[in-house]
Amino acid sequence: MPEVSGSFLDDTPVEQRSRAAIWLSRLEGPQTMGRGPVFWAVVVLAVLGAAIYPQFTNPFAVGNTAYFMVWTFMAMGLGVVWGYTGALSFGQTAFFGVAGYAYGILTINVGAAFGFTWVALIISVALAGLIALLIGYFMFYGRIRGVFIGIVTLSVTLVFETFMAQTAGPQWRVGDARLNGFNGMSGMPPLTIPWFGGDILLYPGIGLYYTLLAMVVLCYLGLRMLLNAPFGNVLVAIRENPERAEMLGYDIRLYQMLAFGLGGALAGLSGALYTAWGQYITPSSMGLTAAALPIVWVAVGGRRDITATLLGTLAVLYAFQTLTIYGSQYALIVMGALLVFTVLVTPDGLIATAMERIGRLFGKTRR
Amino acid sequence: MELFATIFAMTYQFGDAFAFLVISCAGLAVIFGMMGIINLAHGEFIMCGAYVTAASARAGLPLPLAILCGALVAGIVGMAIERTVVRHLYHRPLDSIIATWGISLIATQGVLIVLGSTMQGIGTPLGSITVGDRSYSAYRLVLMAAAIGLLVGLYLLFYHTRFGVIARATIQRPQMARALGVDTRRIYGLTFGLGAALAGLAGGLYAPTMTMVPTMGSTFIVESFVTVVVGGADIFVGAAPAAAILAVIKASLTAWYGQLFGQIGLLVAVIIVIRVLPGGLSAWLKRSKQ
Amino acid sequence: MTQRVRLRALAAALAGSTALLAAGPLAAQDGPIKIGVLEDQSGDFAAATNVKVNAIQLATDEINAAGGIAGRPVELVIYDTQSDNRRYQEFMRRVLQQDEVDVVFAGFSSASREAYRPIVNQFDGLAFYNNQYEGGVCDANMIVTGAVPEQQFSTLIPWMMETYGPNVYTLAADYNFGQISAEWVRQIVEENGGTMVGEEFIPLGVSQFSQSIQNIQGSEADFVVTLLVGAAQASYYEQAASADVGLPMASSVNVGQGYEHKRFTPPSLADMHVTTNYIEEIDTPESQAFVEKFRAAYPDEPYINQEAANSYIAMNLYKQLVERAGTTEHDAIRGVIAEGDVCFDGPSGTVCLDPKSQHMSHTIFLAKVEDDHSISFPKVWEDIAPYWLGDAGCDLTQDDPSAQYTPSNPPPAN
Repeated sequence: MPEVSGSFLDDTPVEQRSRAAIWLSRLEGPQTMGRGPVFWAVVVLAVLGAAIYPQFTNPFAVGNTAYFMVWTFMAMGLGVVWGYTGALSFGQTAFFGVAGYAYGILTINVGAAFGFTWVALIISVALAGLIALLIGYFMFYGRIRGVFIGIVTLSVTLVFETFMAQTAGPQWRVGDARLNGFNGMSGMPPLTIPWFGGDILLYPGIGLYYTLLAMVVLCYLGLRMLLNAPFGNVLVAIRENPERAEMLGYDIRLYQMLAFGLGGALAGLSGALYTAWGQYITPSSMGLTAAALPIVWVAVGGRRDITATLLGTLAVLYAFQTLTIYGSQYALIVMGALLVFTVLVTPDGLIATAMERIGRLFGKTRR
Repeated sequence: MELFATIFAMTYQFGDAFAFLVISCAGLAVIFGMMGIINLAHGEFIMCGAYVTAASARAGLPLPLAILCGALVAGIVGMAIERTVVRHLYHRPLDSIIATWGISLIATQGVLIVLGSTMQGIGTPLGSITVGDRSYSAYRLVLMAAAIGLLVGLYLLFYHTRFGVIARATIQRPQMARALGVDTRRIYGLTFGLGAALAGLAGGLYAPTMTMVPTMGSTFIVESFVTVVVGGADIFVGAAPAAAILAVIKASLTAWYGQLFGQIGLLVAVIIVIRVLPGGLSAWLKRSKQ
Repeated sequence: MTQRVRLRALAAALAGSTALLAAGPLAAQDGPIKIGVLEDQSGDFAAATNVKVNAIQLATDEINAAGGIAGRPVELVIYDTQSDNRRYQEFMRRVLQQDEVDVVFAGFSSASREAYRPIVNQFDGLAFYNNQYEGGVCDANMIVTGAVPEQQFSTLIPWMMETYGPNVYTLAADYNFGQISAEWVRQIVEENGGTMVGEEFIPLGVSQFSQSIQNIQGSEADFVVTLLVGAAQASYYEQAASADVGLPMASSVNVGQGYEHKRFTPPSLADMHVTTNYIEEIDTPESQAFVEKFRAAYPDEPYINQEAANSYIAMNLYKQLVERAGTTEHDAIRGVIAEGDVCFDGPSGTVCLDPKSQHMSHTIFLAKVEDDHSISFPKVWEDIAPYWLGDAGCDLTQDDPSAQYTPSNPPPAN
């Protein structure tokens, strides 16, 4: 019966196409700023600009920009957890550290052959996400809310830090990988791409830059689609009014837990990439100062929009590093003043506010 | 006698941990516990109090006066910061994290640039006492007394003075207080100043026993947040039992398993308390009273 | 706001961000010899490290006034690493890739060294680590001028046991430096027929020591080895003094680095014994001359510690290496080190580089803190070699494992 099977075969792609079309249509929606051809033209231009950027600069600037991009995943993850779901996590660095150490342990033991580094990356991220889900289950099913989420997550990351800091002795090893305490673990390979005639090592440089650029773009677009999907709408509903969302029949605990797991996995992605970038991971990446940084990036950029979060993180990273280079000892003072100023003048975040202001300048109507 | 010495040793360790938790958390209990401002500059208020105390003690002021001086200056600095920055953040407490972190960066680095990377200490007064075959710092006993005095003083201030009643009313129901003619802005300012002064007092009290560096406040911050969170929103009901419980946990884990487990135990205790008693000890105590 | 407006806003912001990321390239030039300096001028470690930058500057000024290195002037590229490992990673990359320096002087904490070491290895750079540390780095890209445990403990511990008695209590910071140093102390105490009556590890950042003080008093210790690190842990001395512990103390890290005897009120540090390769109180003519010119250049310097002397020595050693090699090429420089006679008469006496480990021999001074916190020197050991790495099997003239070893994790035997 060829006809029947034919129609069978016909149906499936249509179904898929329409589903794909639905997801593509979610690239824009109520939960994210920016829509229409002009916006997407600018996005494409920005990506193209980023793509040809290495032609116009030196290898250091390329590697350095790649380094900035490493952190954006953790920031976007926190944007989902804090900005969209309304749960301020002070401990994204815990998942960052877990994935960083996992990447180190896996690659040191197994090596980098046949692109195993990517498998290690995926396992590390999954592990970080899993632990985040566990902690999320513990918190949200325990009805912990508000600032207490911040305290619990901060405590978790500080426990990890305190524990890892004292693992200097030779008894603290997993296979060939020594945890090496406060001095940090090193000796893991960078990411590799299997290629004819030997692997390509993705040391910070053009190769890693393009790899990360692709990952940032994919992650950004993926999050846009997810946030404009029903899932994202529910997250925002929970942020705006958890009781109402619950009355409407949503199990808010489940949604919060899933969002938290996603945030943890993204923080883990940053952690594993950071470890591969510098071939080094240390307990102080999970300390108090390190834990405060993602919050600063997200808040300064604007936490309620994923675009603002992404751009804000890049801007803050760049600004702080530049200040440190040229500001000598006054750099930290200027940074502090900048933070206070940002909070007082632009409550919604520097980038988010700037985007609205510029928009108002061009616009005929006001909101 | 042997038994007495052992009991004294244990009590001393407990009291020492208790005093540290109570004194370091008092300021934060007012600013974070009562007012809901997540104050990451808490350690810098402590540092401010300690530096002023050391400087004035060095200038010839007797130590108790120098400590009060430290608390006073920290309080004034606190009120100035409230007036310029914190005042605008009452309706968005999470942003206070960023602002106070910024203030903390400015304070630490500013002190480093202006006063140098260290400051000479002032030495612990009162010498030591001997019980059994061990000797103890007498000043630490003063700290324990100060911790209890602090709890009593705060209780009296908030429950038996006009200012205390108005402050609690303002923070719990600001609109109502305003309707009754209270200058709520002033009360907020004074309460924040009080919290900063208490932090300064902690700095002053511990200044003689510690190294004076711009980052010295950071050693207080985790312990104080932990105590306030375990205590819960009502600090007068919650803080003392919270400090007592945490002191037992910390002192016994440190004694039996070493400092590492003392540190980790404290953090794990917080996670568990939050999970089991989301409102902290104070909410639980109040509920079981009813 | 309409969607169109929103979109334009976003477009403008995106365009701005690309411009923001564009940093101008910087051309490298021949001519001056460029030296990168990465030190913690702010943050937790600032107290002990600001002086290192001044010492490097002082040596540079002297070298430039005398005609530079092989006729080329020296140019410093200085970054403040803010006691933050990440800044070390960022700036090590920057000095090697963008500033294209010939050599880097970098690092205070061991963690910061381990953070930048993979990057130095990747670019095959050359870095001087001018700090006293736990020892064991066997890496051809590193030259270490600070003292290591075998130099400090093989002198200190036997002397202490002879003078005060065989029972030792160790109080150490709970991380690599403390644990590895404690391992050395344990080993040397046992070799000399003594007993470890206690060993306690303190997490970094802990500032309250009542329990530890009680443990020490409950033990039969004749002296306490304090391997405490950082501003918070330094509170131990004040608290121990006020509890009247009254035991002699020995250390490899205090006084010579964080000048605790200047910062604390006497007599909290009384009876502290430290083995150091330099402190400003050393009254040899070379040392006094060094202190004099240092103070002339930097009158406000609170204290000239061993790291300052090591940094100063490192500059002069590098000058000698380049002039003898006739180039700044690293292989040629290593060739000169392999000759085994690279020595310098500096503020701390004569020091020489060991070709096997690229560590430095030292004159070790035993500094004793008196009741009024003045310093006396009961004993001096001349020319103590950094022997352990070489004996254990590290030989950088043969191969370069780029690893850090410890007594319990020695180089693989082959």
